[in-house]
Amino acid sequence: MIGSRSLSASLPRTGALPWLAALFVALTLFMGQSAPLFEWLLPGLDNPVYDRHSFPDLVLDHVVLVAASSLISVFIGVSAGIFATRSVGQEFKPVISAVSAIGQTFPPAAVLAVVAPLAGFGFKPALVALALYGLLPIVQNTMAGLETVPSATLEAARGMGLSKREILTRVELPLAMRVITAGIRVSVIVNIGTATIASTVGARSLGTPIISGLVSQNVAYVLQGAILVALLAIVTDLFFERLERFFSVDRN
Amino acid sequence: MKPNRVIVTLLVLALAATLLLPFANLAENRLVSGTPYRFWSALTTGQLVAALALTVSLTGMAVSWYKRPVLNGNATLVCCLCLLLLVIYAAGDFATRSLEDAGPAARVSLSSAFWAQIFCLSLMMIDVLQRMTRSIFMQVFFALFAFAAVMLLFFSGALDQLSIMREYANRQEAFAGALVQHMMLVISALGPALVIGVPLGLLALRRLRLRSGLFSTLNVFQTVPSIALFGLLVAPLSALGEAVPLFRDLGIRGIGSTPAIIALVLYALLPIARNTYAGFAQVPTAAIEAAQGMGMTPQQILWRIEVPLALPVLLSGLRIVVVQSIGLAVVAALIGAGGLGTFVFNGLGQYAIDLVLLGAIPTIILAVLADCLLQLLVSLSRRKGVT
Amino acid sequence: MIELDQVTKTYDGKNVVDSVTLSVDKGDFCVLIGPSGSGKSTTLKMINRLIPLSGGTIRIEGQDIASVRAEELRRRIGYAIQSIGLFPHWTVEQNIAVVPRLLKWSPKRVRERVESLLALFHLEPGQFRDKYPHQLSGGQAQRVGVARALAADPEVLLMDEPFGALDPITRDSLQEEMRRVHEETGKTIVFVTHDMDEALKLASRIAIMDEGRLVQVGSPREILNSPANDFVLDFVGQSDLGLKMLACESVETRLEPAASISRSAPIENIRSQFGQADHVWLLSPEGQVEGLLTEAPGGQDDLDRSLRPLGQESHATPEMSLKEALSHMVWRKTGWLPVVDGDGRLTGEVGLSKVMERP
Repeated sequence: MIGSRSLSASLPRTGALPWLAALFVALTLFMGQSAPLFEWLLPGLDNPVYDRHSFPDLVLDHVVLVAASSLISVFIGVSAGIFATRSVGQEFKPVISAVSAIGQTFPPAAVLAVVAPLAGFGFKPALVALALYGLLPIVQNTMAGLETVPSATLEAARGMGLSKREILTRVELPLAMRVITAGIRVSVIVNIGTATIASTVGARSLGTPIISGLVSQNVAYVLQGAILVALLAIVTDLFFERLERFFSVDRN
Repeated sequence: MKPNRVIVTLLVLALAATLLLPFANLAENRLVSGTPYRFWSALTTGQLVAALALTVSLTGMAVSWYKRPVLNGNATLVCCLCLLLLVIYAAGDFATRSLEDAGPAARVSLSSAFWAQIFCLSLMMIDVLQRMTRSIFMQVFFALFAFAAVMLLFFSGALDQLSIMREYANRQEAFAGALVQHMMLVISALGPALVIGVPLGLLALRRLRLRSGLFSTLNVFQTVPSIALFGLLVAPLSALGEAVPLFRDLGIRGIGSTPAIIALVLYALLPIARNTYAGFAQVPTAAIEAAQGMGMTPQQILWRIEVPLALPVLLSGLRIVVVQSIGLAVVAALIGAGGLGTFVFNGLGQYAIDLVLLGAIPTIILAVLADCLLQLLVSLSRRKGVT
Repeated sequence: MIELDQVTKTYDGKNVVDSVTLSVDKGDFCVLIGPSGSGKSTTLKMINRLIPLSGGTIRIEGQDIASVRAEELRRRIGYAIQSIGLFPHWTVEQNIAVVPRLLKWSPKRVRERVESLLALFHLEPGQFRDKYPHQLSGGQAQRVGVARALAADPEVLLMDEPFGALDPITRDSLQEEMRRVHEETGKTIVFVTHDMDEALKLASRIAIMDEGRLVQVGSPREILNSPANDFVLDFVGQSDLGLKMLACESVETRLEPAASISRSAPIENIRSQFGQADHVWLLSPEGQVEGLLTEAPGGQDDLDRSLRPLGQESHATPEMSLKEALSHMVWRKTGWLPVVDGDGRLTGEVGLSKVMERP
């Protein structure tokens, strides 16, 4: 399993979630009015606030892109993980786990850059690239999660007369849920980052002001986009941390 | 007769792609969309016959797989590698033949069927390798061998007329520079990351109360999207550079390699600190007590017991960091740090896919190679007795 | 050999070891026993300075342990613990060789030493030398752990509940081996346990601790015969005190001469034996004990009918504990057991009434 964030799962930081979420919403709504602040911070800029798109619009675009691609990833990834751990798919398991391990070494930006042009520029290709890359940790963790279910538990379930489907939905998936959620968490966080770069392949996101700021050497644009997307990622991560804890078997 | 269903499935997929999708694209110049060529019209008769023969024998072996799994395994590896080299060579050969009587701006680029074939063949080889050996050494050895064979094909000149290779030929020097710069970014981040990360991990080990706070702080860096972290560093660093001319002369500016390296270091801290902590924490306390009881000095316990037992975990942390940094350094091109990402984003800006590939494919290869080598190192460091 | 003088350990103002004074003679097998939290482990670990003393002194062969560098001291003292702590990345040979190598023995000497230690613990060197700890069973691992503690031939061996985590059968055989090794090597051993049966089986001296204080020190028999107070009596276990007493005495102490006659002797001779004895051991023509005759057989045909067979499995040996002999008597429903030597020859008998006598 990818435990890249599993250590922090036990940390008592969820108390910050509502405050940071509120801060994120407030900044999204009022970033457009922040001109005086940025004028004071970075004097001498022609245009202290990014105004080609409104910030709520950019946030919405970003969230839609990540949410849509993540939904696709979760659907395909969890199905593939279940398939590989059933007896029908057993033969495919080594290749699926090797691909999901090797695939994750590919730089996400490179995957975006290779996939997107093949499908043209804009929202759809970015969606495809994000969904593809986001699959990998979910597949990996679904397989790992299902495999950690103790064989004694499965035997007991069989012994009590549960059907294969019932064993999957009532025993295996609930027990594997924490690990699967950890995979989704990695996937979503990576996708929030990759969606930021997706503005270079023509998909509008919170990366748009950052890239535009870098191109026109307007540090204020960069900061405005970066602050919002950083907060979005942190809030999402904390949310998933809570979710993971909710799904952990001992619920402590 | 029990077939190898993985290979059969992949063969079906590859055949479907070959039949339905274009193999290569011939265009008058960079701007027009050009004519797509199917696999069978791009290859010479001889090449087609060879490809067909290899495919038929692959199918035969896959269908009767479990009769002679070892023989079939070896033969399938050889067939797949031959077919892979044949497909790549045929693409290059097609480019050479079709550009002989075309204008200087004409170009042949690779299309979806080509990529699908390469993808399916690689997966077949991975499947066979996974079935045949659990040994990471054998797997990496074969991967390096296959990689060397493909590289040989590249340097033989047979592929020189493909658009991506022409793009490479035009920018050979810039490419070499970008490659070196890319690796420099990664390497320069490693030193500081280790110097800061390892002590932080040890601190977490000694002071349990600090641990949760430390790891969640470092996790924030991992969570923040790379371009945002770069962006957040741009402002304070440019302010610093402007305020102190000395720093500016040292290269501390808002854009360039400095913010990139700082960001890479910040990203690397969590994996390094966490794996240092985990590596030392998993050393059995009984072993340490026994070592003390037998009269080993703290130094001897550290170097003979703790470090050897923690090393594999430490090195897997390093592996994560190197692979991750190679990927993040692509994005660093956006803040002017150079590296292979320059080609990627220039290409995206000009809608020049070959230029994008010239940046993206080498970074992917670089990441996978680094991963292979470091994985090998991890296995080597794992002592025999420790499972 | 080892002298503890007013040894005290204080944690957070509480004396977990409270002015313990104890001397262990050379060659003693001294068992420190007590309930958990009685300070026995702490006392042991102060001897090799894994835990520093809060007060008092410890001397080994007259030398204050505080005057030696801790590492140097520990290399002279063997140390074995319950969790064994074999180094997982080293082979059995490398594990055993740790201290000899720290002491810079020659490779040849180290190798020979490892071999003889493996042999001492009945571990075939060719088979075990190159194994890694994870390939060993619990009992094998602890044998290696003890062999490692003995590697540099220390005068003193400290053992902290070394057999506590093993299953009863393995524990039993390791205890046997430990007793044999102690007899063969004559090491001074300080051994911590909370298991009274283990203590009675191994100890030449038992030191009972409670709440950091030494309650009673003495030989197993002294402890059983005259427990110092209710705590000791309770700890020893009142309900099976008698059996424990029998456990620390051997058949040898109650050996009596036995009347015997060969099966091949004329029946008259057999019958005439009953003039002097009320029971006679019948031997096979080869001289092995076949069983017991408690009344004179009527004739040759009657011999097997009046014989009570007592095969090899119910023969006692001089080293056997009285507890075990008694158990055989109860199981076989006989008042006497034949006592045989290593070759199976009858050397005497042990009877129920003799077992009951005061020593």
